[in-house]
Amino acid sequence: MTKIFVIKTQVGQEENVANLFEKASRRTGKIYAILAPKELRGYIFVEGEDIETIKRIIRHMRYARDVLEKDIKIEEIEHFLFPPSAVANIEEGMIVELISGPFKGEKAKVTRIDDAKEEITVELLDAMVPIPITVRGEQVRILKKEED
Amino acid sequence: MKACRKCHVLTNKSICPYCGEPTSERWQGYLIVIDPKNSQIAEKMKIKMPGKYALKVR
Repeated sequence: MTKIFVIKTQVGQEENVANLFEKASRRTGKIYAILAPKELRGYIFVEGEDIETIKRIIRHMRYARDVLEKDIKIEEIEHFLFPPSAVANIEEGMIVELISGPFKGEKAKVTRIDDAKEEITVELLDAMVPIPITVRGEQVRILKKEED
Repeated sequence: MKACRKCHVLTNKSICPYCGEPTSERWQGYLIVIDPKNSQIAEKMKIKMPGKYALKVR
C-alpha cells in the first residue's frame, strides 16, 4: 500500500514543485502520483512508498520546504480530487453579493445559471435599468436564498 | 497548457490527442500520475494512463 505525504512548498510554487518531483522520480522511483489542488496554497501531496525517499528528494529541491512526518489517508484528500461546482449551491432568484471584479460589493439577483461553464447571470439590485451581467460562480457570495 | 473537457488530460493542443474532445484553457488543480497501477489517487480518479491531468475543467 502506498502512502500519501504532505509537502510544504513556497506559496505560488505548488505546480513547479510537482513538476520537480516528477523529474526527480525518474531517478529515484518510488513516487506514484503528485497532487497540487488549487484550493491549497503552500502545500502539495505526494504519493510514494516511504518518507526517506521524499526527504532525499526535497533536500536539494528549490521551493520545497519540508515534509510532514505523518502520512495521511486518501479519504482526507478525496474532496480535493472531485472539487464541487462553483455554482452548486446557487439557485435562480437568490440574492448574492459580487466579491470581485468591477462590481465588487454590489448586490444582485441571480437570473440564470450555466452549470457547464460554472457561470451565473445576475442583475444588479441598485441599477436603474436591469442589465444582465455574467460572472464566474466563485465571484459571488450568497446573501439570501430567495428574494423577500 | 490546456485540459481535455472529457478525460482532463493536459496538452498543448486544441483537440485532445487521446479522446478527440476539444480542450479548454480554463482548468484548475494539477495532478501528475506517474505509476497508475500502484497509485491510490489514480485508482480513485479512474486514471489508467500516466500523465498530467487537471482536476476541474470548464
